Amino acid sequence: MVQVVFDKVRKAFGDTVTIPGLDLVIESGEFVSLLGPSGCGKSTTLRMLAGLEQPSGGRISIGGRDVANLPPAERDIAMVFQSYALYPHMTVAENIRYPLRKRGVPKPEQATRLAEVAALLQLEPLLDRKPRQLSGGQQQRVALGRALVRDPSVFLLDEPLSNLDAALRAHMRAELIELHRRLGKTMVYVTHDQLEAMTMSTRIAVMKDGVLQQFAPPAEIYDRPANRFVAGFIGTPSMALAEATLLRDGGGARLQIGAMMIDLPGRHAAAAPCAVTVGIRPEDIVVGQGPWQALVRLVEPTGHETIVALEAGDLALTARIPGGPRLHAGETVAFDVNRARLHLFAADDGHRLALDITDTTPPRSA
Amino acid sequence: MTNRQRPALIASLVTWPLVLLIAFPLLWMLLTSVKPQAELFTTPPDFLPNAITFEHYRRVLEETAFLQYFRNSLVVAVSTTLLVVVVAVLGAYSLVRFAYRGRELLASLVLFTYLLPSVVLISPLYLMLVKLGLANTLASLVAAYTSFALPYALWLLRSFMAGIPEDLEAAAMVDGASRMGAFVDVVLPQALPGIISTALFSFILAWNEYLYALVLVNSDEARPLTTGVMTMLISAFNIEWSLLMAASVMMSVPLIVIFAFFQKYLTSGFGAGGVKG
Repeated sequence: MVQVVFDKVRKAFGDTVTIPGLDLVIESGEFVSLLGPSGCGKSTTLRMLAGLEQPSGGRISIGGRDVANLPPAERDIAMVFQSYALYPHMTVAENIRYPLRKRGVPKPEQATRLAEVAALLQLEPLLDRKPRQLSGGQQQRVALGRALVRDPSVFLLDEPLSNLDAALRAHMRAELIELHRRLGKTMVYVTHDQLEAMTMSTRIAVMKDGVLQQFAPPAEIYDRPANRFVAGFIGTPSMALAEATLLRDGGGARLQIGAMMIDLPGRHAAAAPCAVTVGIRPEDIVVGQGPWQALVRLVEPTGHETIVALEAGDLALTARIPGGPRLHAGETVAFDVNRARLHLFAADDGHRLALDITDTTPPRSA
Repeated sequence: MTNRQRPALIASLVTWPLVLLIAFPLLWMLLTSVKPQAELFTTPPDFLPNAITFEHYRRVLEETAFLQYFRNSLVVAVSTTLLVVVVAVLGAYSLVRFAYRGRELLASLVLFTYLLPSVVLISPLYLMLVKLGLANTLASLVAAYTSFALPYALWLLRSFMAGIPEDLEAAAMVDGASRMGAFVDVVLPQALPGIISTALFSFILAWNEYLYALVLVNSDEARPLTTGVMTMLISAFNIEWSLLMAASVMMSVPLIVIFAFFQKYLTSGFGAGGVKG
């Protein structure tokens, strides 16, 4: 069992604190993505786990072993770098064999393991080439091969797909999922691409400014974002966020968003009146019927669905409707929102309100 | 003639006279060294020797301390080169990879030493070496030449090492190497063209240096070729031209051999930089 634990891990460069205190427990065999905008500390977190950066405080353990004083070589990890970091003066075969050579694996076994990995990643025809003679995708596979060949207990991947073109990225995403399923190893994956995180991870750790915002399975992150940041960061197009007021109305509650009034179940009345931020996902807007009117600003057909930008008074909304475009920019349409799927966040610090509407609905399966 | 050939022709017309101009003294040196003494001062001069003799070479090797000087030069140049390369490689790596107080200042100060004319440094350096008990030894020359070559070598290697992606070392360390192991396995091979350039530079500097050798050393045991050949063959009354030319040919040979051998490393190495995605 290889559990990875961050216990109050802190990182400061001089006076600049990049990670004030990170607590994270990654279970054995999980595929965890560290997701966040650039500068959120996700790469630093991975490099501390690898031993390439020293934490300024706290404790990191891999498989129950405190790794504070262990150099990267002794942590039983393998890492794939964004730049691939292939050794330019070595052939593909020498690159892949390097970790085995460094650990004194006997020559015959080196050859067997190299052959296995080469077959797995279809690298056989490339073994005698130098990295500079390979395409980006091939280099990526060699980097993956070098990580796989040693059978480490944890795989660390630092934005490994970000230098590939879109088609190849989709292909490698599928291969990584398959690889994780087959190997069952703990993988920690750093990315700023939410599509990669959503499709591959068992759990996603969303980070911002060095602080963990939410650590949950992709579906839960999507359906029940822990705060306003996660809500706005996850989902394309992103969730519309608007200032609103929760009002008491007799025994029930009403949500006032600009000129719109939405009736809510009575239990929300307890907190009212208070200022909130309401979040509405594009797919939770129904266009063509409903009590409110909106102006169509922009229509973006993507083929299987159409993204429509709406304007209802001061409120800017994005709707996702299935099929081709039936609307035209400039026309006025009726719309409704799926009340059961509204997200409410505190107006001050943006945390998800416990009296949330979707609390009673189970997360949809992704 | 087609238009495509014209630039090549023009290039040839420009470069060949230049090559001949530069090569002529070398050729003249070679021809003079094999001409019999009697042919040296004929007017008008004969371009090609009428008879070829190796008498001058025999006399330089057998009747003078040439071999002693040659050995001295070789010891000084090789020691200087080794010392400069080892110190500069480690120093440059430190300047590139480690963060410490005064790192940039140190790097600039190192270059500052080049602003001083070397003549200014001769007296203090001589006095220091005397105090260290190194006066009149090969070690004094090695110390002096190392102090000249090191700043340039540091800067040259620093720029080379700055071009080596840090990820490569990180990868090697994750793959099981120690920092030193990663340095040897990954950094050194990548820096090889820079190391070869540095070595060539140091060797040539130490091999050809004259002024410091003249001041720091005045015994035959420690005299290198440059000053040795001058003192033995050039006096106030007579210049032994034929011997001087024979000695000069033999002095140039090691450099020519080394250059011919390393030239392909120098050029091929530059194409082998890091991999970018």
